[in-house]
Amino acid sequence: MFDGLKDKLSNFREDAEEVAEENAEALDSDEADDGETADGAEADAVEAEAAAAEATAEAEAESEPENAEAEPEGDSESGGGFVSKASSLARGRVVIDEEDLEEPLRELEFALLESDVEMSVAEEILDRIRDDLAGEEKKFTASTGALVEDALRDALLSVIDVDGFDFEDAIADSEKPVTVVFTGVNGVGKTTTIAKLAKRLEDQGYSVVLANGDTYRAGANEQLQEHADELGVKLISHEQGGDPTAVVYDAVEYAEANDVDVVLGDTAGRLHTSSDLMTQLEKLDRVVDPDYTVFVDEAVAGQDAVNRAREFDDAASIDGAILTMADADSQGGAAISVSHVTGKPILFLGTGQGYDDLRKFDPEALVDDLLEDED
Amino acid sequence: MVLDDLGSSLRGTLDKLRGKSRISEEDVDEIVKEIQRSLLQADVDVSLVMDLSESIEERALEEEPPGGTSARDHVLRIVYEELVDLVGDSTEIPLENQTILLAGLQGSGKTTTAAKMAWWFSKKGLRPAVIQTDTFRPGAYDQAKQMTERAEVAFYGDPDEDDPVKIARDGLEATEDADVHIVDTAGRHALEDELIGEIEEIESAVEPDRSLLVLDAAIGQGAKDQAREFDDSIGIDGVAITKLDGTAKGGGALTAVDETGSTIAFLGTGETVQDIERFEPDSFISRLLGMGDLKQLTERVERAMEETGLEEDDDWDPEDLMKGEFTLKDMRKQMEAMDNMGPLDQVMDMIPGMGGGMMDQLPDDAMDVTQERMRNFEVIMDSMTEEELENPRSVGASQVRRIAKGSGQSEETIRELLDQHKMMAQTMKQFQGMGDGDMQRMMKQMQQGGGGGGGGGGFGGMF
Repeated sequence: MFDGLKDKLSNFREDAEEVAEENAEALDSDEADDGETADGAEADAVEAEAAAAEATAEAEAESEPENAEAEPEGDSESGGGFVSKASSLARGRVVIDEEDLEEPLRELEFALLESDVEMSVAEEILDRIRDDLAGEEKKFTASTGALVEDALRDALLSVIDVDGFDFEDAIADSEKPVTVVFTGVNGVGKTTTIAKLAKRLEDQGYSVVLANGDTYRAGANEQLQEHADELGVKLISHEQGGDPTAVVYDAVEYAEANDVDVVLGDTAGRLHTSSDLMTQLEKLDRVVDPDYTVFVDEAVAGQDAVNRAREFDDAASIDGAILTMADADSQGGAAISVSHVTGKPILFLGTGQGYDDLRKFDPEALVDDLLEDED
Repeated sequence: MVLDDLGSSLRGTLDKLRGKSRISEEDVDEIVKEIQRSLLQADVDVSLVMDLSESIEERALEEEPPGGTSARDHVLRIVYEELVDLVGDSTEIPLENQTILLAGLQGSGKTTTAAKMAWWFSKKGLRPAVIQTDTFRPGAYDQAKQMTERAEVAFYGDPDEDDPVKIARDGLEATEDADVHIVDTAGRHALEDELIGEIEEIESAVEPDRSLLVLDAAIGQGAKDQAREFDDSIGIDGVAITKLDGTAKGGGALTAVDETGSTIAFLGTGETVQDIERFEPDSFISRLLGMGDLKQLTERVERAMEETGLEEDDDWDPEDLMKGEFTLKDMRKQMEAMDNMGPLDQVMDMIPGMGGGMMDQLPDDAMDVTQERMRNFEVIMDSMTEEELENPRSVGASQVRRIAKGSGQSEETIRELLDQHKMMAQTMKQFQGMGDGDMQRMMKQMQQGGGGGGGGGGFGGMF
């Protein structure tokens, strides 16, 4: 997941730095000594030491160019580049021009689209980076690398890191039984995900009851029953064609009577365009009033992921999402789009067909991973 | 429907060209940007989009519009040709004995598609059988069994056997009598080497005449890699796109087709076994360009007519609509036929001037409301006399009261029905005696009028 985007992000960083440094170079043409420092290959080095440079640079930002010159002695060529930029800045010059950024930003836009980030979300990321970088003066004292990286990190985190809801904390803190209902379109892996979560919760010492609210799809009862047998948990189900709300309701009653900690309620997959089924979902949400509603979608979904997420959130407000088939997907943009458009976090990633193939999703770690250097 | 956003935004951009005879570089630039945007939003592969837009740009600027052609028509033709080139022809599916293998990612809709295809073949007069080899997913056997019962086709599966290759082999033997064997497989993705190895074994055991890749319309840019991997392992001859009744555009399927050098075979458009269509490139592009999809509508109409009990009503011929008086009986037949064609919104999508842009302007529940209205109308017509049905214009106020009592509907609804009939009768008059050329002119008119005007009026009144 995200392999493609990772490469592209790194390209953008280099391009943006190059653009910026070319400018810096032009401005500093009188300081001919560091003319060759501004090529792309060297950009990585600049940013590798960005963290260190930043700390010192901030302190020196307002000070005299002479001071800056004295600073990073041992830093070979990249130090020179940094110094020249710092000094040009000290003379009050703006180094990054919005116009110069357009080409790298356009490349980045396509990179995001290629990674299945939804178009409006991609545009928002670009806007943030543009606002952040263009005409930037003050922060520029750090280094182009750090600056571009910061802008990227901020932009990515701002769309992906939505206010935290930790599923496991929530289960631990809630009054028992906790009812969790799973929604999503057909074939995204709701039932399999429920089985995986049941296993995970049982492993953590909770007791679990499953409720098959999918009274529509052929084979749904059998599918969940086999999982229940395998995991040794109780399944509440009704005849095919029954009322899904009643099934989940029964399961909650069962949990109350038998001191079961968690009720995991499956629902039939439905396309968000089917108003009958979406109304049914609203009813379930209203009558059962689950503690949490989790939206399940597949990581391989493209631009449409946001439409679905939004529609399901509207019908039965979701608290978080789980993306399945993350092991099949090298793009991963759906994760960025879905959490951004719903304002709810991605809780887990499904990463295979085994019961244990469920990984907690950590946006910070993801962004770190995306921006990490490959070498 | 597939790419219909492209239809509406493209139409918008193209409309700006109306009246121009020469086309500037900026015009082309704008159109190309619009096309790029729409295709990207439809999940078409980024590099494919770039190739396509480049050729459109090049041709639009270099090729001289043939004499008398407006700039708009010229560009439209180029876009059309390039898109036809991109989507290719539909996969050839001969109506003869054959074995078809289905492959695809988990949850893409293989089992449902298998049952739908079997239903489709059975409607074409062949005897199909579905063989379920998914031994991994719990419930897969039961699902396939129930779906094939709904489709009323033969089924083979073995819930106690866990070797899919053996099931495939046994299944072919057990369903020897069938003309068409459709082999369903467990979901797998390109990176699961073991499972890819397994499907290769199934493939060599059943020796399919064609292997189809089943793809969810919502799949993103990953379609490319998945398609390539499946093509490398078993060879993909065609693609079936599923869940097209959602909002996803199905552009991933175009990518897959491009990547595998194959074509699109079937479209899945709903949850029942009848919700399957053969892919038709021409009608697909027509729909894409917002020109409606007459060919598929005709097919559905014919099928629906067959099922609308012509036996009990031999004197009713749809051709009658085109001559003579349009009566309430005709209207009822038409409503029944439409009902048999499937959900109204799908049917509307195929009527020229009704799809794309116009559908977007309707409130979400317009179709549900319309369907309910149609049901009410039917109840009312049941309470009317033969004479009233034949001659609805003669129905007076006292008759309306009587019908209202008899049908339990409000007088208001009955008057609506009569108005509706009047409007439809007028529309039918316009259709009568029209040649092909007139039809096209009318389609154009409807398009230019945003779909609402002209001949669309009759249907428009239903909302």
